[in-house]
Amino acid sequence: MSFFVKGIFLEQKKEPMLTRSTLVMRQEFEYFDCNFPDVAIDELSREQIIELARLAEIVDESDGKMLWEKLEKSNLGEGGTFIVDAVDDEPYISSQMSIGIHQPEKLALGIELCERVLSPEKTYIAMYRHILDSNFGIPKKIGKYHVKKIGGRYPAESRVHRHIPKGKNSVIIGACAMLHLARAAEESRKMTSCFITVAGDVVKNPRNVEVPIGTTAEKILELCGLTEEPEAIILGGSMTGRAIFEPENEKVGPMTRGIIALARSYGTYSYTCIGCGRCDDACPKALSVCAMRKFADAGKLDMLMQYDVSMCIGCGACSYVCPSRIDISATLLKAKKQIELAKKEGTL
Amino acid sequence: MKEKLMFQNAPHVRQSESVVTMMTDVIVALLPIYLMAFFYHGARSLVLGLCGALCCSVLSVLGALLLREKPVPDLTPIITGLIIPLLLPADIPYYVVISACAVAIFVVKIPFGGTGSNLFNPAAVGFASVAICWPELVFRYPATMQAIEIFGESTAKIAQSPAYSLSLGAVPDYNVLDMLLGSAPGPMGATNILVVAACGIFLIVKKAINWITPVSFIVPYALLCLLFPRIGGSPFEALCYELFSGTVVFGAFFMLTEPVTSPKRDFGKLMAGISSAIVVFLFRYFGGFEMGFASALIVMNVFSPIYDAICESVLHVSRHKESFVASIKEETKLRKNKKEEEKPVIRVIEKAKEPEELPEIKTEEISEEEILPEKEPEEIDLSENSEEKEEEALQL
Repeated sequence: MSFFVKGIFLEQKKEPMLTRSTLVMRQEFEYFDCNFPDVAIDELSREQIIELARLAEIVDESDGKMLWEKLEKSNLGEGGTFIVDAVDDEPYISSQMSIGIHQPEKLALGIELCERVLSPEKTYIAMYRHILDSNFGIPKKIGKYHVKKIGGRYPAESRVHRHIPKGKNSVIIGACAMLHLARAAEESRKMTSCFITVAGDVVKNPRNVEVPIGTTAEKILELCGLTEEPEAIILGGSMTGRAIFEPENEKVGPMTRGIIALARSYGTYSYTCIGCGRCDDACPKALSVCAMRKFADAGKLDMLMQYDVSMCIGCGACSYVCPSRIDISATLLKAKKQIELAKKEGTL
Repeated sequence: MKEKLMFQNAPHVRQSESVVTMMTDVIVALLPIYLMAFFYHGARSLVLGLCGALCCSVLSVLGALLLREKPVPDLTPIITGLIIPLLLPADIPYYVVISACAVAIFVVKIPFGGTGSNLFNPAAVGFASVAICWPELVFRYPATMQAIEIFGESTAKIAQSPAYSLSLGAVPDYNVLDMLLGSAPGPMGATNILVVAACGIFLIVKKAINWITPVSFIVPYALLCLLFPRIGGSPFEALCYELFSGTVVFGAFFMLTEPVTSPKRDFGKLMAGISSAIVVFLFRYFGGFEMGFASALIVMNVFSPIYDAICESVLHVSRHKESFVASIKEETKLRKNKKEEEKPVIRVIEKAKEPEELPEIKTEEISEEEILPEKEPEEIDLSENSEEKEEEALQL
């Protein structure tokens, strides 16, 4: 019964990007001057590792924060859990997972360095398991680190927290940041590139690419090739990303996860809500989405507050299942923003 | 590269299922029932279905034009138009079908805002209205296996339906197998139980309807029929007659599951199914008409928003479980603190009373006025103390 199980099953479509090796775009790497060049990697102290992360300007791609700030603030100690985020539960996107599969030694080195700073009790790598349309097997271990397979329906990233014991500290850091940290320690290399999945039904050569930060979407799509004119180009994941109109002006940043070119946009629909309640069943936060959408259309912000619109995580599961193709997720996120503004102004 | 780019909100991938595919599934599931009606009653049943579907779609387009809206090409009016004739006998005059369709579209759907906004099941209201207006036509069923004239007055032989016999408390003339196969007289779509159930299962497999609604309706209804049989004989036979007569099975699969008027969540659907089973049973047990289903459904549609509200309030509590538990714990802590602070104070009063009462017994001549002023200042002090402590506790 879907009263207990929430979320949606998505076709993951991660092949062939996941099994193909990462394509590196030609670029010039930048290097930094280190104050302690003679110290071996095994002997780096906590402060030195944080200094490395600061010099290399590493950004954590899972939340956009600077890695050195994150490392400096948190000291996990006993009972603490350190989770490396390589979940990738959105369709097409596999940039984090591919690092664990194609560059496991570097990832393991990065995790080891972070472990030395954070000194957690438990460390594991989180990956999404339910890739039903592929025979790809997720490794059980990367280096000496255990891979925890997060199963179930989309969105799975919010379920990563479920494995943390209650009342204990935890830190979640993305896999790409780990890789960049390993590079900084080995080669004193700055983080000037990011990992992006280029996919979609009109991409000729879909694969994971490593491109310099600031490359335009047009260039990246040219690198992989297009078979026909796309109707939609998406910067980010296919569930939460943003449709772009000017690919020559849109640049990728450290938090960009993918560029997806689709032959057909889902189009506009003129059907009204028939009240089937599928959105209610799909919501991973068990919100009454159907009723909330009606309140949002009517502009009843106070009712939306009562129905906990602030808990919406914007995963897009409701819009995905809607048979009338209503933009429920966008409507609710807009209403959420309006409520936040009204609260700031004190009108609500 | 950018000539064809379109605007769209996230998510950029959508389910392939849409309203059109869902409604097409329902229409496809209704077609075998029409085929069975054609087999038992001839071509008139097909013409009745066509008439209903055409009438409903034309009227809904007219209604949209009256409201100066663009007509939406959805298939819901066709489904309404196909369901209404299936609830009626095969020899029903066309004007009855047309008026039922008119009520369904112009009274139930259009005034509330078209598809998705109706409060009641349109087909149920359409059927109920013609059942009130022309009961002698609606509840008079032709015998099966005879072709009825397509146009004009019907000259078919009339037979007594099992539902009518049951309402009189008599055992129907047909055996259970006849009723399963649909050779007993009755509404032209609802008698072929096997075909109706197969079509319903097709809809469940295609996920056009939720399995919870029909199951949560049929199982409690069967239980009620077992417990309170209307006719003598074995309870199992009575159960079969009750379930297979009238529009119970057809309604459970095709009318109760209408998405607009049923509750949204599974738990709400469960509650709605059970409660409508009870109401349908009561309507058929005590009601004047032999077909209680449509009227009971109209009554139960009113409760769907209430079931939704119940589900939402339960989920609201579960979402804020931690904060609720924390607030309850705080309250209990405050109460405990209060009690602990009050207890010693009460002891002081008891101790203070004892020496006062003792001299009272000894010296009878002391008046009450002298004792009272002594007590009062003590009480005031205590109350002040307790108030201060309360404030302290709150500040803490």
